[in-house]
Amino acid sequence: MKRLIVVLGLAALAWPAFAAKKVEITFWHAFGGGRTAFIQRMVDDFNYTHPGIQVKVEYKGSYRDTLNAAILAARQGNPPHIVQIFEVGSQLALDSGIFVPIEDYVPAELKFQLADYIKPVANYYRIKGKFNSIPWNSSNPILYYNKDIFKKAGLDPENPPKTFGEVMKACEKIEATKAAPKCITWPLHSWFVEQWIAEQGALLANNENGRAARATNVYIDSEAMRRIVKWWKEMYDKGYYAYSGKPEDWDGANQIFVSQQAAMLITSTSDVTFHQNAAFENGYHLGTGFLPIPDGVERNGTVVGGASLWLTKGHPDAEMKAALTFLLWFTNTENMVRWHKGTGYFPVLNTSVKVLDWEHWFTRNPAYKAAFDQLLQSKANRATQGALLGPFPEIRTIIENMIQAVFQGKPIDQALKEADAQADKALRDYNASVGQ
Amino acid sequence: METHAAYKSRWLPWILLLPTFVILLVFLYYPTLETFRLSLYRVAFLGLRKTFVGLANYRELLTSPVYHQVFLNTAIYSFLVVFFSMAIGLFLSVLANQRISGRSFYRLLLIWPYALSPAVAGAIFLFLFNPQAGIVNYFLQAFFKIQPDWLGQPRLALGVLVAAAVWKNVGYNVVFYIAGLQNLPGDVLEAALIDGATPWQRFWRITFPLLSPMTFFLFVMNTIYAFFDTFPFVDLLTQGGPNGATNILIFSIYRDGFRFLKTGMAAAESVVLFVGVVLLTILQFRLGERRVHYGG
Repeated sequence: MKRLIVVLGLAALAWPAFAAKKVEITFWHAFGGGRTAFIQRMVDDFNYTHPGIQVKVEYKGSYRDTLNAAILAARQGNPPHIVQIFEVGSQLALDSGIFVPIEDYVPAELKFQLADYIKPVANYYRIKGKFNSIPWNSSNPILYYNKDIFKKAGLDPENPPKTFGEVMKACEKIEATKAAPKCITWPLHSWFVEQWIAEQGALLANNENGRAARATNVYIDSEAMRRIVKWWKEMYDKGYYAYSGKPEDWDGANQIFVSQQAAMLITSTSDVTFHQNAAFENGYHLGTGFLPIPDGVERNGTVVGGASLWLTKGHPDAEMKAALTFLLWFTNTENMVRWHKGTGYFPVLNTSVKVLDWEHWFTRNPAYKAAFDQLLQSKANRATQGALLGPFPEIRTIIENMIQAVFQGKPIDQALKEADAQADKALRDYNASVGQ
Repeated sequence: METHAAYKSRWLPWILLLPTFVILLVFLYYPTLETFRLSLYRVAFLGLRKTFVGLANYRELLTSPVYHQVFLNTAIYSFLVVFFSMAIGLFLSVLANQRISGRSFYRLLLIWPYALSPAVAGAIFLFLFNPQAGIVNYFLQAFFKIQPDWLGQPRLALGVLVAAAVWKNVGYNVVFYIAGLQNLPGDVLEAALIDGATPWQRFWRITFPLLSPMTFFLFVMNTIYAFFDTFPFVDLLTQGGPNGATNILIFSIYRDGFRFLKTGMAAAESVVLFVGVVLLTILQFRLGERRVHYGG
């Protein structure tokens, strides 16, 4: 009897050793709700088709929580292999020193995939000529509008406003005809400000948006910014612009638009699927258009928003290789098609766009078309590449506070000057903290 | 020794206390000390990189107008929350303490909000006070033709936050005040009644002074609540906006520490909050000892 127990005990000890032949990879992301399940299904497919590798996927909360958790795990010497990091965290991720520049690790036979990214996406994520992470979920802001309210107001439902001036005119009509209580809504979020700066071909920071060298000066007190804030303030004062009162309130803006309290909404393309369903359920017709831009400037295009996948350092070679295998599989042509259809995020590979074209996907789903055309028509320059700033979250709060201060009556010149000084200080402190 | 008679060994009581000490040490004293230490550093990436900067973080706290506003907000907010939670709590307890039918039902309803998690309470207020789609403005529009921008105006936003925090905590005060009221010595009140004291006089001259130990206890608890436990309301309702008008210390600590990754600054703010609360508590005990009337 005793001997049997010993044998069983030894077998139990040895058993995990057999199972451990599989290379285990952990992957942390920030997608809750239905997207958690969607990602899990994709990962299950990978595990099924790659017997030597076992990917464990975990939802870690918001983008910020995920980044913080990864840094803390790295500090304790046990980081996850793959981490999803939001675009404005790129500089922070670079500076943290816990990730490897991924392009150096991609095996030669898979390098072709890096050449396949659509231009605006490659433009954003190629930092100093190199991919430091694998682009994944990408989006940008577009205009959503309620075609029924447009008809009621006597506006052309197939021709949404394209400039700030046209939005203002449409709002005058909507107010005069009482077609809707409010004209337009979007979250009071610095992201839109950043997009409007880029659309004007202007920069948000020095050293070519922090792309040529580390940024040391934030451009808030600029002509491009003044145009945006002036128009926004006028829209607010006239009662055309509505928001929930809370900064960065994406749900609040959606709620105002979906409840048909406002005729137009500016928000991320990643919500196309959500808004199509909401329009159907609430019985109105949804239209989409390009992001309206300041009058009299040439349309430069938008900055890619979203997140990319980073690989942490300090793992054995076998694990690094397995993680890369997974990463490149997860973002390959067919999975990008699947991801786009399931979420509304852009298919970021040229070949996946071709597949969707071949399926006539964009003609069958016109709401996605505006989103995608806007992205493809973006010019590749320093402005649309987007700024790289270490303390981006703090600078966003500074910009949002500045806008709310202007709403409350602070003169625009003064507000811009103060916010500019605050942002410069935040950048200085950050740069000092990383030893620059 | 006689006092140790219950324990055969001198070490046994220490061993029995050990788990408590370990927990205190690991989860309370060590983090507190670490906070003091971190407040002297400029920290990047949650501690991956540290530079000693001496008192620079404190200097910034004391000189920056952004933090001055935070301190002022915290003082106003905490005062309003403590005052209204206790005043309303006391008023409702007196009403609920009367001999009326269904009073246990009323008491249950009064305590109910306290049982909600702050996150749920915050979400409820967010729905109520959404300027376009909220029910409050729906009624205000229907009856008075006004639609206040509840969360977009500094004073109104602070008001909504205070209302949410008070609503959530009144139940706690009601529980303790009702208990206090039920333990009041009946003979004193009866004597006053016979002597012809008005209800007003009976309340302010007898009930209120006799409740003073309870009031004192609740004052300390409510102060702690206002300083530390109201974070979810700010996070859910205003994010410290508009333009920092509702940015109170506990929210600022969280934001600096976990969103802006300025761990050193957040640590310095925590130390300021810690010192502030300690001073306030000492002050309360000093003042309290003189005013509080124990026993009838």
